[in-house]
Amino acid sequence: MPMKGRFPVRRTLQYLSQGDVVFKSSVKVMTVNYNTAGELSEGARKFVFFNIPQIQYRNPWVQIMLFRNMTPSPFLRFYLDSGEQVLVDVEDKTNKEITEHIKKILGKSKEMLEKEERERKKLSHPATFGPKKYHLRECMCEIEGQVPCPAFVPLPKEMRGKYKAAMKNEA
Amino acid sequence: MSVPRGAVHAKWIVGKVIGTKMQKTAKVRVTRLVLDPYLLKFFNKRKTYFAHDPLQQCVVGDIVLLKALPERRGKHVKHELAEIVFKVGNVIDPITGKPCAGTRFLENLSDSENLTEADTTYLSEKLQELKVCSTDK
Repeated sequence: MPMKGRFPVRRTLQYLSQGDVVFKSSVKVMTVNYNTAGELSEGARKFVFFNIPQIQYRNPWVQIMLFRNMTPSPFLRFYLDSGEQVLVDVEDKTNKEITEHIKKILGKSKEMLEKEERERKKLSHPATFGPKKYHLRECMCEIEGQVPCPAFVPLPKEMRGKYKAAMKNEA
Repeated sequence: MSVPRGAVHAKWIVGKVIGTKMQKTAKVRVTRLVLDPYLLKFFNKRKTYFAHDPLQQCVVGDIVLLKALPERRGKHVKHELAEIVFKVGNVIDPITGKPCAGTRFLENLSDSENLTEADTTYLSEKLQELKVCSTDK
C-alpha cells in the first residue's frame, strides 16, 4: 500500500534528516514570499514544497512563515537576533541554488556541525548500560561476550543458586 | 546581547495583527510549523501574543515584527512592536521599493518620462489605428 500524497518521500524521517541547512543561532525568523503562478517563482515554489520541511526539521526553533501572492517578486527574508534583516532575492533561481545560497550565507559550516556532533558524543559513553533513554543497552546480558540472558538460555548448573547452596550444604 | 532580554523564549517574532481594540496594545497571531509525529507533515500552529504599540499605528491584518521586551509590561504583554513588515492595503515590494498589490505593481514601472520623439509618434500612430478598428464595427 503506497503512501498518500504527491511526493510522499517528503514525509519520511530519512528525507527530513537529509537536509543539510542548519542555521546559525542568531537566525530567529525566516519569511518566504512567493507566488503560486508564474515562471519566475517556480524555484521558490519548489523550494517551499521540497526544502522547507527539511530546514524546519533541522531547525525546530526558527519560526518559518510563508506568504503567498503578496508581492510580484519572490524573496526570502531572515530576521537575526541583532535586529539585522537579510533579504534574498530568489527570482529565476532553482530550489537547489536557493538552498546552496542560504547555506553559504547563514548556515553552520560542516566543521562546526562535526564539532558539535563530537561534543554530543563525548557526553554519552557507549560501553555503559542502563535505561534505554541514556544508554545503548539495558542489561549486561545484551553485551557480546557476556553471559546470555537466563530467560532465553538456561544458566549452567554451577552458576545457579540452588546448586551452589546444595554444594555448600554438602561440604 | 549584554542586556539579558526577557524571561521570554521568543526574542523576535513575525505575526499578523488580529485585534487593536486595546489601548496601545496589538493582539498578534503567530504561526509556527510543527511536525505531526504520525503523518510527519508540518502544520501551522497558532499562538496569540500581545504587543505594546505606543503610537497605535497597527491595523487589523498588518504583518508585524515583534521584539521581546527586557521585562514584561503587564500580565500578558511581553513584546513590543519593532516594525510593520507589510501594511495591509499598502504593501511595498522590498526588492524594487514600489507599491504593489498581489502579483502586480500599482505604479507603472517603465520610465515613461524618458520616451523620445520617435517613440511618442509611433505610439500615437498605434493608438489611432486602434480607434479606427473600433469605429469600423
